[in-house]
Amino acid sequence: MTARDLRHLQSMLAQLIAGQQPRGEPTREGELERLVKPSARGMDPQARLAVYREQFWTRHLENLRDDFPTLIWAMGGSAPFRAFATEYLIARPPRGWDLQRLGDRLPEHLAATPRWNSDRLAKDAARLDWAFMEAFDCADAAPVDPTVLASIPEDVWPSATVTLHPSLRLLEMDHPVHLARSELSEGRTPERPPMLRTFVAVWRDRSCTRHACPLEPAAFAILAGLNAGLGLGVACESAMRRTSRESVETSVGAWFQDWSARGWISAVTPPSHDD
Amino acid sequence: MDYRARLRIPDLGVGVGFRGPHASTILRARPAMGWFEIISENFFAEGGIQPAHLESLRSTYGVVPHGVSLSIGGADPLDEGYLARLRTLVRRLDAPWFSDHLCWTGFGGVDLHDLLPMPYNRETLDHVVERVKRAQGTVGAPLALENASSYMEFRQSSLPEHSFLAEVAERADCGILLDVNNVFVSAYNHGFDARTYVDGIPPDRVVQIHLAGHEDKGPYLLDTHSDHVREEVWELYRRALRRCGAVSTLIEWDTNIPTWETLEAEAALARSVRQEVLGGDMGSRGAV
Repeated sequence: MTARDLRHLQSMLAQLIAGQQPRGEPTREGELERLVKPSARGMDPQARLAVYREQFWTRHLENLRDDFPTLIWAMGGSAPFRAFATEYLIARPPRGWDLQRLGDRLPEHLAATPRWNSDRLAKDAARLDWAFMEAFDCADAAPVDPTVLASIPEDVWPSATVTLHPSLRLLEMDHPVHLARSELSEGRTPERPPMLRTFVAVWRDRSCTRHACPLEPAAFAILAGLNAGLGLGVACESAMRRTSRESVETSVGAWFQDWSARGWISAVTPPSHDD
Repeated sequence: MDYRARLRIPDLGVGVGFRGPHASTILRARPAMGWFEIISENFFAEGGIQPAHLESLRSTYGVVPHGVSLSIGGADPLDEGYLARLRTLVRRLDAPWFSDHLCWTGFGGVDLHDLLPMPYNRETLDHVVERVKRAQGTVGAPLALENASSYMEFRQSSLPEHSFLAEVAERADCGILLDVNNVFVSAYNHGFDARTYVDGIPPDRVVQIHLAGHEDKGPYLLDTHSDHVREEVWELYRRALRRCGAVSTLIEWDTNIPTWETLEAEAALARSVRQEVLGGDMGSRGAV
């Protein structure tokens, strides 16, 4: 058996188990029977392979089901979700060892699927669920020390760079699906909500509990700017263009305190003298 | 000098798999347990609850990482990124060994997240030996290669699995994680004698033994880790202990996870079997 034979065998079995498209090595009729022995207890090669195939589909569909509870609700239940998840796994089979990342391309796949690409509620739900998945195990960062914040001179703030906690995810959505996810987690069945432009932050707190909370549009715009690497002053200017100067100027101090208390602020870096 | 003595592989006594539903009980009450095994991949993350749990766990117990994604029998190249994460984890735990399975887990970059069997012959043996050497070299610790349970056999096999595993261990100079439940399951599925398998494993290479429950599906047994250890498997464990001596033993229970008390009782049963076979202090290690 050459290395090429081993590749061929594993390629064929992977295709048959995961239902992938052949990768330039079409499975020949009867090849499984040529390679795999029947069992002493009467299982033919197809039945033996089916043990692995069943495990593959059970494992991955259960993982996706656990990872996307809001999407299941938005789609109207387990049956349409299962059909969609099956299509997803065939189109985008698992890559890499990390089962936590199994759904990383699911929101994108949903948006490209004719059956669902005009369903804004489903698309919002998928993005929210994935934000929760990402917040679960991404890197940690200690919250900024309040004494450090207090020591920064007022005139330095506009040019300071603010680093947000790595778990913080900012979502602009057409529905308040974070409320639905919360109800689902309490065992209730939410009503389908009306469309409502919604800004949400998802994050993991210091006790590793994940949360979602709504944001005012200007607060969202500032955080999005900070996340993109803008200085605080530039991020606020950007938010002012989106809402009003007055609402930003009157609220930004309180927002910043709130974000800091939630652990969203990991560092505030004054400009260096070279800047 | 035999393998375990040469590499100073310790006997950790009897332990159990560290699983989510028991985490708060274990970390709060610090129950008497010889050691814990973790699923390596679950602790590769940079942040979140798992690294926090691990720091707390290792402050009290010995912890050994057990992987499911090394794909030592795979035709794809070994994943260097995966090995780097494994090295970091092993160093962080100061683990005396790390373990994974004699299997392949994916092809062409697609990961099936399963432990698939390979043909056992001279060519695949050379392939696995080279990869074990590379994995051990990169990770910097001894690998204990586990016999996986399987549901398929290949016509290209020319060696029995136990001979294949024994020769890989000798040529690559690695350890063996002997899963006696997997031996029982595969023996049923493929029609070989489980006792011959256990007797064919070089005893000094065995650094760990796994025990678990399985499910009877009629024409085959499925390795589900979902129940108590069956009496026939306890009997194989006795046989393995008589051959291997005092070897770290671990109870795996991953589905239908029972109460902590039930799992503790299963570990106590393993300790009593060790005591019965080995006698004296050798048998009771891991009781406190």
